[in-house]
Amino acid sequence: MALADIIKQTSDKGYLYDGGLAGFFCCVYESVYQRELPYGIYAKYSHEPCLLPLKHIYTDISKAGKVRASIPKKISARALQMVENVFLSCLEERELALLRFLLLGYSEGSNITKQWGRAEIAPLLAAERHLWGECHLLQGFVRFSDHQGVLIAVISPKNYVLPYIAGHFINRYSSENFMIYDKTHQAALIYHDRRQDIIPVQDIEFPALAAEEEEYRELWKCFYHTVAIEERANPRCRMTHMPKRYWENMTEMHDLL
Amino acid sequence: MDILEKLTILTEGAKYDAACTSSGAQRPGQKGLGNTLKAGCCHSFSADGRCISLLKVLQTNYCVYDCKYCVNRVSNEVVRAAFTPAELAELTIQFYRRNYIEGLFLSSGVHINPDHTMEQMIKTIELLRYSYNFGGYIHAKTIPGAAPELVQRLGLAADRLSVNIELPSEASLKLLAPHKSKQAILKPMAQIRDGQSENKQDLIKYRHAPHFAAAGQATQMIIGATPESDYQIMKLAFGLYKQYALKRVFYSAYIPAVEDNLLPACDTKPPLLREHRLYQADFLLRQYKFTVDEIISEQTPNFNPYLDPKCNWAINNMQYFPVDVNKACLEELLRVPGIGPVSARRIITSRRHSKLGLPELKRLGVVLKRARYFILAADLPVGLKSDKESALKALLDPTIHSLGVEQLTLFDTTQGEWALPPAVTIDGLGLTATN
Ligand code: SF4
Repeated sequence: MALADIIKQTSDKGYLYDGGLAGFFCCVYESVYQRELPYGIYAKYSHEPCLLPLKHIYTDISKAGKVRASIPKKISARALQMVENVFLSCLEERELALLRFLLLGYSEGSNITKQWGRAEIAPLLAAERHLWGECHLLQGFVRFSDHQGVLIAVISPKNYVLPYIAGHFINRYSSENFMIYDKTHQAALIYHDRRQDIIPVQDIEFPALAAEEEEYRELWKCFYHTVAIEERANPRCRMTHMPKRYWENMTEMHDLL
Repeated sequence: MDILEKLTILTEGAKYDAACTSSGAQRPGQKGLGNTLKAGCCHSFSADGRCISLLKVLQTNYCVYDCKYCVNRVSNEVVRAAFTPAELAELTIQFYRRNYIEGLFLSSGVHINPDHTMEQMIKTIELLRYSYNFGGYIHAKTIPGAAPELVQRLGLAADRLSVNIELPSEASLKLLAPHKSKQAILKPMAQIRDGQSENKQDLIKYRHAPHFAAAGQATQMIIGATPESDYQIMKLAFGLYKQYALKRVFYSAYIPAVEDNLLPACDTKPPLLREHRLYQADFLLRQYKFTVDEIISEQTPNFNPYLDPKCNWAINNMQYFPVDVNKACLEELLRVPGIGPVSARRIITSRRHSKLGLPELKRLGVVLKRARYFILAADLPVGLKSDKESALKALLDPTIHSLGVEQLTLFDTTQGEWALPPAVTIDGLGLTATN
């Protein structure tokens, strides 16, 4: 069976993997060598038990490495980039969509990433843009609080944005110590003594705010409300530019929720 | 007076300024605090839907001038306050650390005289740059009439400078801002332009020459306080872009703040739709390579409120359509209603690999509802045989609803002639035309 034909028929098997990128590459390996298209690919942590048979895909670094290396070689460097981005996006069933994309790409080559109008490609590009869009918004919407000299922020993004926004904030606050905690994905970007790391974390409790911190919050809220021009009130426009789901972590919006 | 009170007063006095962008300068973080991004960054949106990017405040709202349209004019009774440079610098830094803002937008009333005022502003900005090593964005307004050396110093510490042109004609300026002459406004504009081009040459010669207003200069004018037409305004804006190498012209719908018989009555609604049209037209000039005379003329000197300027142009120039999306060049694509700069570029990339039909165009982000009357595609080889009426209906600008029907009423009574597309029945669309 040619690679492109695999996607024509869904098998009755689902794949279960560890949720990491290397694990996903092993799912691709399995699909290619078994010449089968799973009906679904599920990460262990998010999977709800179901009746259909599931194949456990074990993460094997050498297999994953082979798959990863094959993408720029047989498709293009841009294709690998797309896979990595979409994998961290919030696209539903992204693993399956990416598998289909790779199978098509292996048989059609580098042109595939430029066919932005194709039904198999457009959703992936849209997911990528959604991820970038959220990163762009968060560069502005992240709010830090000063806890004894350390800046701490909480975010709840849909996409896994930390690796993408890290560079921007490190560049901006290069001589500060700070942490950005992603509540959705239970991870935190830590920048301390000019070293950076993204680590998994459980729920964090933050110490009470210092008086000075409260003061700056009040000043900021005061500025926020004063700068609006009443005669131009346009809450719908505000909502379009600053969707409500970001408000919970924004100092000036708390009172309006 | 505490900082909170000062902040309230000095924000109140600055909020009518339209510009709050932080774009145009790319500076990576250095040893101090902060960086700037070429594309700018919005940190929040206020209840009026405007982007908050910079801490937009006045150094002081004390003012010896008497511009009729301004809340801070000397003859108006308001509470006065002034930030000391140290207070304002510290506030900026603390806001910046918390990622509330991208930097500072500093303007001021004229306290004592223009030079004294500029010196206070320069102190604030130099404190930020040289004591705090602040690398974020700074936009400063120069004060008309200040000494050229001060403009120079301000430009070396700020990313963007602006001089407000205030009103769209000299006559209006004389009438409403008697202390500001056209000369006093244009002189610093020319100085900033020349300073920038000299600076570019210095930067080639000496790599470490200090930057002079790297993000360029901007200006703003108040719309609707005086009788100029959209045509006059666009001509002026275009002239400013060309002669003074401006990065942006901002248009600010006049909001009555004071009673004066030279000004529109206090219950006049701000002409938001008109302001919106001017920005759209401005965008067509800067990004789509339209000329002023293509989109507006002396005969119809005001924009059509029902159609955005690009659609208005298209519907009156049907001889250029339909455009074949599989063949047309970028400029042609950009002129099709429903195709923007992003989708136009996507079309050009993806059509190299396969012919594009309507489903593909849709996935590329083209608004087919509008575009389909103006294009040929793989599955639309002869083009829609459309009547002008249905095309017009599809092109009607939905923002006229959100900006309110009062806007239109205002338009109709104060503006000149515009040809309402004859085939559209406005009643059927839930709008009431008043003439
Ligand atoms: S110079 Fe004119 S516009 Fe500026 S603050 Fe004074 S009165 Fe207002």
